[in-house]
Amino acid sequence: MCCVPQVLLGDVGTGKSSLVLRFVRGQFVEFQESTIGAAFFSQTLAVDDATVKFEIWDTAGQERYHSLAPMYYRGAAAAIIVYDITNLVISTNVKLGNKALKLWDSLNIPATFLSSCSDFCASFERAKRWIEELKAQGNSDMVMALAGNKADLLDSKNVETEEAKTYAQENGLFFVETSAKTSSNVNNIFYEIAKRIPRVQPSQNPAGMVLMDRSAEQTARASCCSY
Amino acid sequence: MSYDSSSSSSFSDGFADPNSVPKLVDERFDFLTLNEPTELERNHRGNGNEIADGLLNPDRNDNGAEDDDRLRVEDQETFGDEGPSSPSSSGYAGGRGSSSATSPSRIDEASEIDDNEIQELRNDGSLEGIPDSQASSWVTGKRHVDEDDASISWRKRKKHFFILSNSGKPIYSRYGDEHKLAGFSATLQAIISFVENGGDRVKLVKAGKHQVLLYFLFLYTKMVFLVKGPIYLVCISCTEEPFESLKGQLELIYSQMILILTKSINRCFEKNPKFDMTPLLGGTDVVFSSLIHLFSWNPATFLHAYTCLPLAFATRQAAGAILQDVADSGVLFAILMCKHKVISLVGAQKASLHPDDMLLLSNFVLSSESFRYIEITLVVHLILVLFGQVLNSPILQLMGRNEYLDNCELKQSSPDSLHYLHGLCRTAESFSPICLPRYNPMAFLYAYVHFFDVNTYLMLLTTSSDAFYHLKDCRIRIEAVLLKSNVLSEVQRSMIDGGMRVEDLPVGPLPRSGSSPHLGQQTLTSESPERPREPFIGIGGPAGLWHFIYRSIYLDQYVSSEFSPPLNSLQQQKRLYRAYQRVYASMHDKGIGPHKTQFRRDENYVAQLHKLLFYSLHRLIYYIFLSVLLCWVTQDFEFYAAFDPLADKALAIKTCNRVCQWVKDVENEIFLQGASPFSW
Repeated sequence: MCCVPQVLLGDVGTGKSSLVLRFVRGQFVEFQESTIGAAFFSQTLAVDDATVKFEIWDTAGQERYHSLAPMYYRGAAAAIIVYDITNLVISTNVKLGNKALKLWDSLNIPATFLSSCSDFCASFERAKRWIEELKAQGNSDMVMALAGNKADLLDSKNVETEEAKTYAQENGLFFVETSAKTSSNVNNIFYEIAKRIPRVQPSQNPAGMVLMDRSAEQTARASCCSY
Repeated sequence: MSYDSSSSSSFSDGFADPNSVPKLVDERFDFLTLNEPTELERNHRGNGNEIADGLLNPDRNDNGAEDDDRLRVEDQETFGDEGPSSPSSSGYAGGRGSSSATSPSRIDEASEIDDNEIQELRNDGSLEGIPDSQASSWVTGKRHVDEDDASISWRKRKKHFFILSNSGKPIYSRYGDEHKLAGFSATLQAIISFVENGGDRVKLVKAGKHQVLLYFLFLYTKMVFLVKGPIYLVCISCTEEPFESLKGQLELIYSQMILILTKSINRCFEKNPKFDMTPLLGGTDVVFSSLIHLFSWNPATFLHAYTCLPLAFATRQAAGAILQDVADSGVLFAILMCKHKVISLVGAQKASLHPDDMLLLSNFVLSSESFRYIEITLVVHLILVLFGQVLNSPILQLMGRNEYLDNCELKQSSPDSLHYLHGLCRTAESFSPICLPRYNPMAFLYAYVHFFDVNTYLMLLTTSSDAFYHLKDCRIRIEAVLLKSNVLSEVQRSMIDGGMRVEDLPVGPLPRSGSSPHLGQQTLTSESPERPREPFIGIGGPAGLWHFIYRSIYLDQYVSSEFSPPLNSLQQQKRLYRAYQRVYASMHDKGIGPHKTQFRRDENYVAQLHKLLFYSLHRLIYYIFLSVLLCWVTQDFEFYAAFDPLADKALAIKTCNRVCQWVKDVENEIFLQGASPFSW
């Protein structure tokens, strides 16, 4: 059995938790509450003749947890970066948000109005930033997937599939539009990741991955499937 | 005493028409007499006038004043509802007359001043010759220019909480969208800075360098401002809670914010005074609203103590032992809780955990569904259907998630299916940074949270952000021990039938203390025929005891009895807590000191129209909402009890002694003994 430490990243409300819950439990909740910190799940998946055990960190999208993200993606062998194809999420990115707030100050309009100004509120933009961050600071051999979630809401689609596809190709990611609600492509994305993970060695015993020792952990976890 | 006649006439007016202005004025005066000396009152009035005179910019002025008016109108309505014109009002009047003869002179002085204030206030109220109702409708009319319908309901709320930055940016509002309240928030900010810059006519308390507290009463609405560095917290309330309680609530809200973000948030404001905090608090509305809800429902919010789930001593020991084991391996705090009740907790050496921190931490964990991560209703429903237990049960009608589940678990399930539930409701593990404000407000700790079942959860706190897998191992060890020693099933059982009930109050010294593993089983004792008939005929427990709270000062723990008839409705229970809160505030009034030698009786019907004070020994009795509250503070414990209003005083005091004895007899089961990390 191969063990794949994996992390989900993305803006608030893009459906990271919904994707994980759909994958792990087969459930979907219409009004999923915000994740606090990060939640840890595990799920096994049979790929070809092997069994892959995903250890999934479902992170919170809020800005206040941004600084903690390295804690979760540092040891990850795979990452799914999620954005919302309907794109109606107010970005909580402070840098982007400050722009909004300056505008808000000058115009004194309610900030909710800003949510319709897609140029600096897009969860897709946020996804790009995550990808850049992972490329700069994550494992070099990390398998990354870009998921355009909420594919069931085709009517209010705001991010063109082609745009995302092109971006994904340019950056060496694979791209899927998913829907946690209808379950479309949810298993596929994990299945694809499992296939792309180079697996030669069986996974370590999870008990051996105690994270108290930072340096040992980093190398061990990052490469447990890639030797 | 010369004001006596006029005051009593205003009282009788109040009784004649519960909605009349004098009654509300009286109520206002009552807030003040409860909490603050009269100089405060004058100051407030002065400030109110100044605002009305337009010291602030006119628009803002309107905002503030109108909101207050609206709040007041709501207040009026509510009290009309809450206060059925008292059948015993004449009785109170009589009581007042007879008792005033025995009142010490100090009280008379106080009431003189108060009466004086009432007169003046009435003059103020009718200053422009506008009757109250007209005034408010006029205000409302103007308000409609720039307000939409939603805001009318907003202003009708009885209790508002706001957090804003010192630049006037809204951070949190209990009701309404923060961003839309920018104008209102600016008004609050203006009031605060006006007062800070020498507005000496409002009560202003400077406590330390970065703490300013100011509070005043505007008409019938209490406003409490708490300044914490760059963060302003405001409560606008027309409930009857005393200022001290409201201040305590603001402190808790602030601490809850610190728990999420740490105090280093202040640095952001140093760098950028216009810093917008709302994105940082994204998704935590539910944490704050749940905390505010607790203010009415959880005595821990004002007692500053925690409560334990009643468990057999050996069971708690077993849980404590494994937690201790884990704590020795580098965990700072290991806390096992069931809802808001502690099963066991252990801290590393020299680490101490403040009860307020525990309250805020458990609130944070319990209010965020994300920690549990289960669509419980469906799962439980399916299981129960499978087991055929749902048939002819009333719970099917209760489709609310948690209530539904509680009912399923507590009343319907056999231990077998509960165990099965454990297996199926396997929850996620969460790892989140949190800050314990009383432990270290500047630094994050990392909390590993795992729910064993919907109510029972384990929190392991550590200083290391890398410790997740270690804590996960710890949890696996703990879970194995808890299952092996049946702790989890004992917890379930205690949830169902545990707790102290006033009906079960044993007569005389408890003959078999410690013999019963569950307090609930003592029902048998109390129903036994040898129980002597109390001379008192009424409802509730012996001698008309309805409810009690016992707070152990050394342990920082309290135990409160379960609600039993006649405290059936949520409304009654809430009132009782509010009453306790008032008594607590008056007992802890700094002026009197911690050890009371007063016997204070407050005949209080709905709007606290009369106040009669007696001084006696060691006890305080409060008549509130047709119940009598008795409070007894010693060096070891604080005891609060609610009695039937017809209860005999001597008998009530005797009963209190018996309850205290009872608590001492079973203290091993209701309190977490020894090994307590509470080291002060």
